[in-house]
Amino acid sequence: MLLSATKSLLSDQLVFKGLKQGLTLFIPEEKSFAHWLEILDLQLKQAKNFFQGGAILVEIGERKLSPSEHGDLKRLLAKYRMTIKSFNPLEKKRFNPWPREIQKKEKQAEVLFFKGTVRSGQRLENDGHIVIKGDVNPGGEVVASGDIIILGALRGIAHAGARGNLQAEIIALTISPVQLRIAHIFSRTPEGREERQGPEIAHIKGEKIVVQRL
Amino acid sequence: MAGRVIVVTSGKGGVGKTTTVANIGTGLALQQKKVVMIDTDIGLRNLDVVMGMESGIIYDVVDLAEGECRSTRQSLVRNRRFKNLFLLPASQTRNKDAITPEQMREIVDELKEEFDYVLIDCPAGIERGFDNAVAAASEAIVVTIPEVPAVRDADRIIGLWLNAKEKDKEKKEPVLVLNRLRPDMVRKEEMLGVDDINHTLAIKLLGIIPEDEEIIIATNKGEPVILNQHSRAGEAFKNIVRRLEGETVPFMSFDTGIIGRFWNMLHGK
Ligand SMILES: Nc1ncnc2c1ncn2[C@@H]1O[C@H](COP(=O)(O)OP(=O)(O)OP(=O)(O)O)[C@@H](O)[C@H]1O
Ligand SMILES: [Mg+2]
Repeated sequence: MLLSATKSLLSDQLVFKGLKQGLTLFIPEEKSFAHWLEILDLQLKQAKNFFQGGAILVEIGERKLSPSEHGDLKRLLAKYRMTIKSFNPLEKKRFNPWPREIQKKEKQAEVLFFKGTVRSGQRLENDGHIVIKGDVNPGGEVVASGDIIILGALRGIAHAGARGNLQAEIIALTISPVQLRIAHIFSRTPEGREERQGPEIAHIKGEKIVVQRL
Repeated sequence: MAGRVIVVTSGKGGVGKTTTVANIGTGLALQQKKVVMIDTDIGLRNLDVVMGMESGIIYDVVDLAEGECRSTRQSLVRNRRFKNLFLLPASQTRNKDAITPEQMREIVDELKEEFDYVLIDCPAGIERGFDNAVAAASEAIVVTIPEVPAVRDADRIIGLWLNAKEKDKEKKEPVLVLNRLRPDMVRKEEMLGVDDINHTLAIKLLGIIPEDEEIIIATNKGEPVILNQHSRAGEAFKNIVRRLEGETVPFMSFDTGIIGRFWNMLHGK
């Protein structure tokens, strides 16, 4: 009994995908919702450190959730410190409830272009990519759900892929930050590391953030 | 035309705000400008001592805000030597909460009608005292010294000023005074250089003041160093006054070879 259950759980896998709207969980329309919740619990338990924290999107297609099913999903995700940002990001393409101006603004918001210095005590945030023409000073902070590109020196804190995108990158002309973070992975600049000249890129290799010449 | 309202601020304490206010105030008075200096460092006042104007104090800025004196004019202390130079002292017995940004704005709005320059000496820190000092100003001079924590704090202060500037369109771009520079130490790479600091803070440089023991002597005498014809720091303050007045004055060469770099920096950004 136990064995067969495990077997069926193994053959069914839920998919997480990094869409441009954010990290999205796909729940198929077939089979019962309770079945998928069980699988989700198992998957998240196994990948405990992988998907920790943050708001995600959930794609459920044509499936209609009862309030209690919705509640169950919310509680399960909360166990892994996740929240639901919204449902069915794909559907928006088919039916867009927003007036045209708002659509346009949303589009522009995907890349935030900032000209100037991000100073100590300042925090720049965007749900999308961030491009900075200027330096990020010590004590300054930049957080993006996408990539961070700095046409200047990075000496503060940078967090790319803040919604969990492990493919996110940080690029700067020089990187000497107090702290780098991509998705849920942290790295600190080793003590005494000399500031190198020329563009550098930080991305995830294996389980670690590596900084290399671009 | 209303006068210019300039706050001198730093974040970190003890970097030379009061010294800068005293010297710029005196220098502008020397140029026949009508100047009032406001000490907003309530509880820790010392602009009056540095200016040698302590003995003239009857009322202070808190008295004025609370309506204790009959007129704004009555609360001002006049300099004995320069009749066009005035001081509105801080209260020594109260604390920074004794006055609000709105009250400061009212006081300054009145003073700027009568004076060419209103110079505000800001306390250290980023709390209420800073809010009070900054509220009414439309220009900011950020003072720092070549030490990492001071530069860090200056950066934070510039950010706060720029935030305030977003809401108050009268506020202008801040400018930098780099104090206590020791060219000998910079040369040996024991101290941050002008270009390091300028690059980090990325604002226009108003002046560079060298480390000068004459400042300490002047401070103790209650007579700003700008009145001392033989002081390098005094000369640097005179240049700052001229730049404030719109003149283009080259930066002093503390060291051969750097001067061109200072110049480029000023014009490059
Ligand atoms: N260029 C200089 N060379 C030598 N000594 C200096 C110089 N500038 C300032 N000082 C000395 O440093 C001390 C602090 O200066 P000052 O009181 O102007 O700083 P401040 O920023 O107003 O301090 P606070 O934050 O406490 O108000 C004083 O004793 C002053 O004489
Ligand atoms: Mg002071």
